[in-house]
Amino acid sequence: MRKFPRIRPSGDSALLVEFENRIDPEVNRSVRALALTIESDRPPGIQEILPAYRTLMVTYDPLRIEYSLLAEKIRGWLDRAGRIDLPPKRLFRLPTVYGGPHGPDLERVAQVLHLSSEEVIRIFSETRFLVYFIGFICGLAYLGGMPEKLRIPRLATPRTLVPGGSVGFAGGQANAIATDQPSGFNYIGRTFVILYDPQVFPPIPFVAGDEVSFPPVSEEDALRAKGKRAEDFL
Amino acid sequence: MRAFEVINPGVYTTVQDLGRPGYMKYGIPVSGAADLFSAQVANLLVGNKPEAAVLETTLFRLELLALENLAVAVTGGDLSPSVNKTPFPMWQAVSVQKGDRISFRGRKKGFRAFVAVRGGFSGPRYLGSRSVFSRGLMGNTLKPGEILESENCAARPLHDTPIPPHLLPDYPFRPTLRVILGPQEDRFSPKGLETFLSSEYTVSAQSDRMGYRLQGPRIEHVQGADIISEAIARGAVQVPGDGLPIIMLWDAQVSGGYTKIANVITADQEILAQTMPGQVLRFKDVTLEEAQAALRGKEMRLAEVKRAIAG
Repeated sequence: MRKFPRIRPSGDSALLVEFENRIDPEVNRSVRALALTIESDRPPGIQEILPAYRTLMVTYDPLRIEYSLLAEKIRGWLDRAGRIDLPPKRLFRLPTVYGGPHGPDLERVAQVLHLSSEEVIRIFSETRFLVYFIGFICGLAYLGGMPEKLRIPRLATPRTLVPGGSVGFAGGQANAIATDQPSGFNYIGRTFVILYDPQVFPPIPFVAGDEVSFPPVSEEDALRAKGKRAEDFL
Repeated sequence: MRAFEVINPGVYTTVQDLGRPGYMKYGIPVSGAADLFSAQVANLLVGNKPEAAVLETTLFRLELLALENLAVAVTGGDLSPSVNKTPFPMWQAVSVQKGDRISFRGRKKGFRAFVAVRGGFSGPRYLGSRSVFSRGLMGNTLKPGEILESENCAARPLHDTPIPPHLLPDYPFRPTLRVILGPQEDRFSPKGLETFLSSEYTVSAQSDRMGYRLQGPRIEHVQGADIISEAIARGAVQVPGDGLPIIMLWDAQVSGGYTKIANVITADQEILAQTMPGQVLRFKDVTLEEAQAALRGKEMRLAEVKRAIAG
């Protein structure tokens, strides 16, 4: 019997569907396909459908649907998910100012990687990152597709506050943090596009499966994007 | 309608309702009142719908000045509420006069009290809920001098006789929390699981609505403490590399990369809401069926309270 996908409880009101244990676009595709299949056929009692890199969590009201029945339904959805078409991915091109006060780690990253700052910017900004899923806090997009040449560990001591819109990477992952947060990532630039706004729906622009890139622009052009929504940069 | 002026915001006081389910996939926790039973009962007592917004206050020192004649109910932990320095009876609706001062003078039992006002607290809604989640830019803790408004009308009449005591929750001083093991229980050694299920843990001072950090014996992993990041269910007990458990609660981040040894059952999460730093707790593993029965029992208790109030 295959080990994955595997279904198991995560407390009394959530279950976890696990796919192969690696960060991989194909594995993530299976996660998203299952999420979409359940969403299109949402039975009563299901509350949240939460894709991640290689797992899908489904939260439910155990007084309306029991675990064993839900697990059985999930097995049915897993069969159907292989045949579903995922929506076409969108590419967000978020104007980004690199280095200086907006990218405090750029010079150090370049030194550690034995590259010039310009090369770091070029390699990073030519990359189309895949949005694996949204999570953490305030709609953080977990971005994959980090070029091998830019592999660098997290800061030994995380910063207590990094301004929202900062663009950076660490340990093979990239992110653009949506709001001011503590972080141990290396930040090389900043975008001023609104990435999170709880006054509107949806509060964040991306969905799992979208792509994001960070084209370099002047500080003036980056600031021109202030107050604009990410959807304006599709 | 202007209901209260905040004279002293207390240690940590926020507006909460039943939260904003449905936005976790956008990275936004559900939030909502930590002790849903107490919050809902407070509302029912003053004739509100159970989902109206209430104040959730922690420990002590909150002081409110009534700006109108109001109907108010206080439920949850006993933080010695008083009105103009005489005791304010809990778990029933009380008429408060314009100019009265309601204050919370010290903790006797529990940790969080809930204040409902007839009509419900108004104020901004974010994504369908008034629950404050300041890290997500959705409102803030109360500030001195802030004016709290309420809606003018209420759905039902007041209930000014006390709820029968047998329907009220007990807040144990040394609680045992029931858990469902997993989803990563296989990432702990048998000794680690034994440590978790047989030891006493103290709630540390670094505990808040996001999570409770515990101090006690370190829990042993096999193959390290990290997993590929995934969604976190409310009540999850994650164990990072230092072996000390953290219970992820109402305002917790929605995803993370630490192994989770177990999950506190839904019915017992309200006990945690009434457990404060310094208190000692233990864990006991139960089956899904037991967790469900406990949750059903809790629902039945709320239904019974509703009947008692409907008279």
